[in-house]
Amino acid sequence: MGDHEEHGWVAPGSTPSPHAFHDPDVPSSSATPEDAVRPGAGGGVTEDPAPDMSPEPGARDAPDAPTTSGTPGTSHAPDASDAPTDSGSPDVPSAPDAAELSGARDASNATGTSDALDAPGARLASDTPDAAGATGARDVSDACEETAEGARDWWGGEHPAPTALVSERERRLSPRSMVVGPVNQLRSLLLPILFGLVVGGFNPWVLGATGAGIVALLVNGFVTWRTTRYEVGEDRLEIRKGLVRRSRRTIPLERVRGVDVTSTLLHRILGVAVVRIEAAAGSAGATEDGKLDAVDIAEAERLRRVLLHRREVLTGRASADTPDDASAPSGEGGGTDEGIVHFAVPRSWYLYGALSLGYLLTPFAVLATLFGAVQQTAGEWATDAFIDWVRDSDRSGLVMFAVAGVVIIVLLMPVFAVVSYAITHWGFTLRERDGSLVAERGLFTRRSVTLEKRRIRGYELADNPLERLRGAVRLRAIVTGLGDAAGRSVLLPIGPRGEVEAVVDRALGRYTGTLRRHPRAALVRRLLRSVGPPALAVAVAVAFGPAWTVVLTLTLTVAGVPLGVDRYRSLGHGYDGERVSVRSGSISRSQATVERSAVIGWTWSQTLFQRRSGLADLQVTVGAGAGGYTAQDASLGASVAFAADVTPDMVRPFLVDPRP
Amino acid sequence: MSGRAVGVWTVRLLMGGVFVTLMLSAAAWAVTSLGWGWPSPWVREYAPFVPLVYGTYALARAAIVPSWRYRVHRWEIAEDVIYTRAGWVSRTWQLVPVNRLQTVDHTQGWLERLFGVATLEVQTASYAGSSTIEGLDAEEARGLSEELAVRAGALRDDAT
Repeated sequence: MGDHEEHGWVAPGSTPSPHAFHDPDVPSSSATPEDAVRPGAGGGVTEDPAPDMSPEPGARDAPDAPTTSGTPGTSHAPDASDAPTDSGSPDVPSAPDAAELSGARDASNATGTSDALDAPGARLASDTPDAAGATGARDVSDACEETAEGARDWWGGEHPAPTALVSERERRLSPRSMVVGPVNQLRSLLLPILFGLVVGGFNPWVLGATGAGIVALLVNGFVTWRTTRYEVGEDRLEIRKGLVRRSRRTIPLERVRGVDVTSTLLHRILGVAVVRIEAAAGSAGATEDGKLDAVDIAEAERLRRVLLHRREVLTGRASADTPDDASAPSGEGGGTDEGIVHFAVPRSWYLYGALSLGYLLTPFAVLATLFGAVQQTAGEWATDAFIDWVRDSDRSGLVMFAVAGVVIIVLLMPVFAVVSYAITHWGFTLRERDGSLVAERGLFTRRSVTLEKRRIRGYELADNPLERLRGAVRLRAIVTGLGDAAGRSVLLPIGPRGEVEAVVDRALGRYTGTLRRHPRAALVRRLLRSVGPPALAVAVAVAFGPAWTVVLTLTLTVAGVPLGVDRYRSLGHGYDGERVSVRSGSISRSQATVERSAVIGWTWSQTLFQRRSGLADLQVTVGAGAGGYTAQDASLGASVAFAADVTPDMVRPFLVDPRP
Repeated sequence: MSGRAVGVWTVRLLMGGVFVTLMLSAAAWAVTSLGWGWPSPWVREYAPFVPLVYGTYALARAAIVPSWRYRVHRWEIAEDVIYTRAGWVSRTWQLVPVNRLQTVDHTQGWLERLFGVATLEVQTASYAGSSTIEGLDAEEARGLSEELAVRAGALRDDAT
């Protein structure tokens, strides 16, 4: 893809951007123009720390940075190769550059003490297991006073070494995972085992089989622990496991999309956590995950940090805008690995769980699982017993019982909703660290989801009519490469709109414009859509059906009127100079807001009926979230002008085109 | 867009129409002649008309739709943006900037090979942002796909 200047391109006025030509001699692994530009930009930003503070070679390069700030980072490469350690530099062109820059910054922060952090020593220290424990202490003061501690820190170990990405030694899971695995398996087998024991009357065979099973589980846990190893390489993570059938999974670190740390109650009692590494596979949509169950909590945190940082370095983005360098040593936001806390959800928000339809239905889900469990373990025996009981008890008593049960369940619905909602969202915090937003939640199973900020293209505010009555709204991120996978992109649980928007403003930047209403003709179309089908059903019911279907369909038709009006009222689109926002829906209304730069295309579609009233659906194409967000029934002319306003260079060339 | 696309569309519609008409005829024959008891008399009476009506509709469609569609379908590339217009009764306009392209597919079915046309499909990071240009001249499509790929490589940023 080198020689492409003159290809008889269709458009005569097209000006290829100059940075596209920087890449011919950069190896293909990072041959995107962005890589050629970004490190240079990083050099421009990192010039500010006073470079004369440190005699360290990496830091001495810093004065060059201002003069070469406009050029691609390759000009730094010779400096990097002069440095004492040079592992990993040949095939990772952007890595030495980025590491060297961060080295310069760190040295200036550590004010003169950095010469104590000589690279080899630091690297040795970083290989000791204690490194995990040292990650917590990352204050400026700590870094200055306790140089040894800083050097044992993985970061401390990394900064002085100009080539940062050193393969780590192979590691094992936490020994405590030997307990977690078998106990978790045992838990799912508990009911069958108990049932077997009770029905089998505790005879020696059943007891023996149960004992053997438990021993087998324990042995299995031990073997899993012994045979599972993982290794963070320069540019990949390797997970090996299996005794007989050995498997080995290699995840290139550039492909890592996110690292999630989850811990169930059991994990937390034992002080371990599950680390799940999500990676993009070659084809779109497919993912290739790595799972480590379980490692020490400190090790989990360290892994998350290391993997994400290496990914940043490998993709050439570990420069000034990644707060893993900026926030942690600078002492802002507490200076610990807590990062900046954007929001900690107050207890009162859990009450909003009663507004969520999904959680209102939990009692039924619980009942269903209960029945399922009984069915699975006791099987026909329980069914027969139930049928006998129904047959034997008298009719009026049964009806009373059923009615009472239903009433209790209905009354308990909101209570259950709030309780289960609180359990899943307990202690919800949204914080920012290492250039990512981290959402953590859960009472028993604690779950933390890391969303890289660079991949967040926008946000979505969703509510249902119940929530709208209370002015509540939920917040989700629109993230690249996550698909529409709902659970992971939740940034905040249901909360009051004002506060949620304030959080958006702090964490992502808020849409400040207003939404343009759609033409009146859209109202007619919405009403036709919501009233039409039930009205048709009424006609059918009047012609053929019994009386109650007429009543039912008539009710639906009448209910369709406010639904249609509300759908029309929620329609809107707008642009505030930075972000595009589109809103639609009634029962589940959502307003999607994406950055202007995330818009990767426009699609208008128009049916015959829309054409008669001059309307069209405008879809904003986004390479994130649901893939596209549609402004339904906008005026065609106005929507074209709107698109031209947002992305002039995409739309303008075609505006002269005669559109019907 | 190549005028031969009209041929492809016509043949395709005709084949579809003939297939469905044959199926309907078979069903109608089964209903009327096999002496099944369950269809009501009026179904048996009107069954032969169904394939007849559908056949006429399919014929009319094959005659009208391709040329109409040919008149609507347009594509244009200017200043590194692909602009397509498609449809016949319902229409779609789509803008896809070249620097957001991820893959460019050039496909040619047997019918298209017969007529010497090809389909070009450009895909972006969003499934919603994928665009197809049907009925291009085969040579032109090949050149265009290569050109687009090269151009996309040159302009490429993160493409999301």
